[in-house]
Amino acid sequence: MKIDPEKCISCLECVDYCPVHAIVEGEESTAIDQEECVECGVCLRADVCPVDAIYIPPESREYPRLIRAEFSDPGVQFPTLKQGGRGTEEMKTNDVTGRYRRGEYGMALEFGRPGTGTRIAEIEKVLKVLLTMDVELEKNNPVFLLLEDEKTGTMKPEARQEKVLSAILEFKIKEDQLEETIRRLRPVLAEVDTVVSWGLATRVSEDGTLPVRSRLAAVGLPTRPNAKVNLGLGRPLVEE
Amino acid sequence: MTHSLHRRGAAEDLCDDFVVVVKYSRQAMAADTQDRMRRIWEIFSHHEGNLENFGNHHPNWKGGPLYSMAELKKMDSPIIHAVFKDREKLKACLKEIRENDLGLSVVVSGLYDETATLCGELGIKPHTVNQSLGIHGKTELLPEEGILELHTMCGHAMVSINLIRDMIRKINAGRVTCKDAAKKLSRMCDCGIFNPDRAEKLLSRMTAK
Repeated sequence: MKIDPEKCISCLECVDYCPVHAIVEGEESTAIDQEECVECGVCLRADVCPVDAIYIPPESREYPRLIRAEFSDPGVQFPTLKQGGRGTEEMKTNDVTGRYRRGEYGMALEFGRPGTGTRIAEIEKVLKVLLTMDVELEKNNPVFLLLEDEKTGTMKPEARQEKVLSAILEFKIKEDQLEETIRRLRPVLAEVDTVVSWGLATRVSEDGTLPVRSRLAAVGLPTRPNAKVNLGLGRPLVEE
Repeated sequence: MTHSLHRRGAAEDLCDDFVVVVKYSRQAMAADTQDRMRRIWEIFSHHEGNLENFGNHHPNWKGGPLYSMAELKKMDSPIIHAVFKDREKLKACLKEIRENDLGLSVVVSGLYDETATLCGELGIKPHTVNQSLGIHGKTELLPEEGILELHTMCGHAMVSINLIRDMIRKINAGRVTCKDAAKKLSRMCDCGIFNPDRAEKLLSRMTAK
């Protein structure tokens, strides 16, 4: 995103709309810090510029800078996946796809959320650890489009310093790997230079309970009182 | 993933905040999928007065009001969102969705115990649950909890922390009401999952003299 200095009247109306505080007051006009801007488009969609000085320059849609919009603007599709959003259908359609079965947990680590954004290189730090563990990574997640080497978890050099609002690592583990997975992830999560929102998806037991909750509490990782519940109204593609 | 999962707040603040997400799987696309999604909008339109917000992930490049139900009913929707504050009204809507048996995935984000109880009352057996395990990493970058409660109502982070602070300043200066500030914040969430009613209550509490 850019601000046309010829048009800008420095009214500062747009400044507070930027989710990553990238709009700064310059000497003669307001400007967008190109290193910090994540190309989410919020400043433009806010529709507050009285002189229409905010615009999407062509370079915002050129690779590798395009990565920023793909992971930050919910309206921009990933060219390969032909889908918007930063993740996959995950548990939202689990009643139809059977992606997470009984005996498995789905995990998602969302980097940069809430509200800080992240450089792609931060994801690499955790991915490299995950690759040493016996987990099943979700390769349909758009993060995998940025990998240079799937075996080592090294990101493409041109992607590493791109900044995005958030990006997600999704993976599955077996139920009996829960405590060990948490033990391995905690130290590396403590070292990343951003925040990470952590989620866990599980099938509901036949008796309607969620045994994972007491296991999580036992390792000092209690669940929040709110959750996303798939009601099971979808028509399953696979029989259990 | 999970744009409605990581809403912050204590249970007493989350008890009147439910997000319904309706989604079809790309693996199960059929010729009538969008007709079934439009049927969902038709059902939501029967409950429009009970919705706090709604939308379909369509970026609002034109500015102005975010969504019109009449327009949404005509559009193709990759995903559908609606926000309720009243669990009985949510229950009535879910009952109608279930009776229509459209075969689409329906997800409710809200207090887990409340949602599970509601499912029991409707004879629905929940299939899968996604739980938030909290925020990790460099948490010193986070703003104070009240701001975070407002910010996380848009999981895509379209409602900026500075805009929330600006609204609080303007409320304190008597330049805007809590209701109008909540509406202004809600307008930035393209998916329509921000709950302006809850935001108004939070802003009122945060600016109480």
